[in-house]
Amino acid sequence: MNYTIHFNLVWKYVPDLLQGAVLSFQIALLAFLGGMIIGLVGASIKIFGGRVSRGIVQAYVSFFMNTPQLVQIYFFFFALPQAGLLLSPYQAVLVGMTLNAGAYLTEIQRAGFLSVHKAELEAADTLGMSLTQTIWYVIFPHICKVLFPPLSNHYIIMTLGTSMAAIFGVEELTGRAFNINAVTFRSIEVFILTAGIYVGITILASLILMFSGRWLFRIKGKVF
Amino acid sequence: MAGSLWEEIPRFFTYYNWVFLLEAAGRTLLLTGVGCLVGFALGFYLAVARLYHGRIFLPFKVIIVLYVEIFRRVPFLVTLMLVFFFCQGFGLEVSVFTVALATVCLIAASYTAEIVRAGFEAVHHTQWEATEVMNFTLGQKLRLVVIPQAWKVILPPAFSFFIAFIKDTALASQIGVVELTYVGKVFNNKGFSPVLAFGAILVLYYLMSYPLARFGAWMEKRLVVSKH
Repeated sequence: MNYTIHFNLVWKYVPDLLQGAVLSFQIALLAFLGGMIIGLVGASIKIFGGRVSRGIVQAYVSFFMNTPQLVQIYFFFFALPQAGLLLSPYQAVLVGMTLNAGAYLTEIQRAGFLSVHKAELEAADTLGMSLTQTIWYVIFPHICKVLFPPLSNHYIIMTLGTSMAAIFGVEELTGRAFNINAVTFRSIEVFILTAGIYVGITILASLILMFSGRWLFRIKGKVF
Repeated sequence: MAGSLWEEIPRFFTYYNWVFLLEAAGRTLLLTGVGCLVGFALGFYLAVARLYHGRIFLPFKVIIVLYVEIFRRVPFLVTLMLVFFFCQGFGLEVSVFTVALATVCLIAASYTAEIVRAGFEAVHHTQWEATEVMNFTLGQKLRLVVIPQAWKVILPPAFSFFIAFIKDTALASQIGVVELTYVGKVFNNKGFSPVLAFGAILVLYYLMSYPLARFGAWMEKRLVVSKH
């Protein structure tokens, strides 16, 4: 019981941590965008594809959804060099997170596509709309409204997931916290600050997502 | 490379390695199961505590909301480190397993508090008003009216949260809890091919998570159908 909390030793590292937060944001955003592309392709294949291609996508999704992201990244980081493909820690984390996100976003986007009712498509057909018109005026607005809340939710989860990169030595928010901890030995203070920054950036992201959702798709979202 | 992999397989799957692997898998399940059950109980009480009206309860409600919001917005790894260094700094002599368990409980409590609250909100407000009119106590309200309707809404997300935590506890290997991911690291460091070491771990995780995920999906479907 002889630990006294001294924040004054770690205050000067706050800019350092914030730089790490920028890297966290970057990893989360890149992985999310990559995952969106994989998810779009995967969801299209799952709905329109043949039996074999559907089976492949299903295997991919179920494998990545039922194994830990950390072990997936370990696998990419340690096993791929054996096949002659050497990834830097940053690349390994990015590849692992993208593929993991792809699996989850495939499922989310598939559910979104399936939420378009047949009657809506038939109505568009009756109005004599072309395929592009149907997609642009009927399917797209509908899907956006359905997909936006789960997608923004997953983005927040991914922002928290980037903390895994610290284990591989990427200098993002948690990674920098580990380093500062090693320099100052003020473990509790450093991690309280880190936790505070995570709370801050996720609340910021939630706010931005909520307002853009309201403005773009008229979704009544809430932050808390 | 593939040739040497084949040669390694008999050396890898020895009796003691199997025991090591399965014990670690059991520890992963124990960590998740106990942590999520305790966390669910805590989260349930937090959600109930938010139902109290009145100015006296306001500070408690603020604390609960802060707790729930903060722990849902901090990564598992950071919370784990905080609990770990907190125990170390304040001289609590506990094992790393206990540290990991406490972290799982803390996080599970905040998530399930939110899930249970959503379940309570899913019960139509006329039902709440009816219990008010009947002059039920809070315990009677929950036991006789709300929980019989809300559990169908609460159970599926709570269960999928539990499954997600089987995978999230992989991070507990970082402070030295001998669970499945830790075993993978040990095998890798022993000189086995990482394809084999982490591949075996991935397969074991899959075998634990996939049946439960299927069961959860089945349960969700069944509970939704029975509602109408």
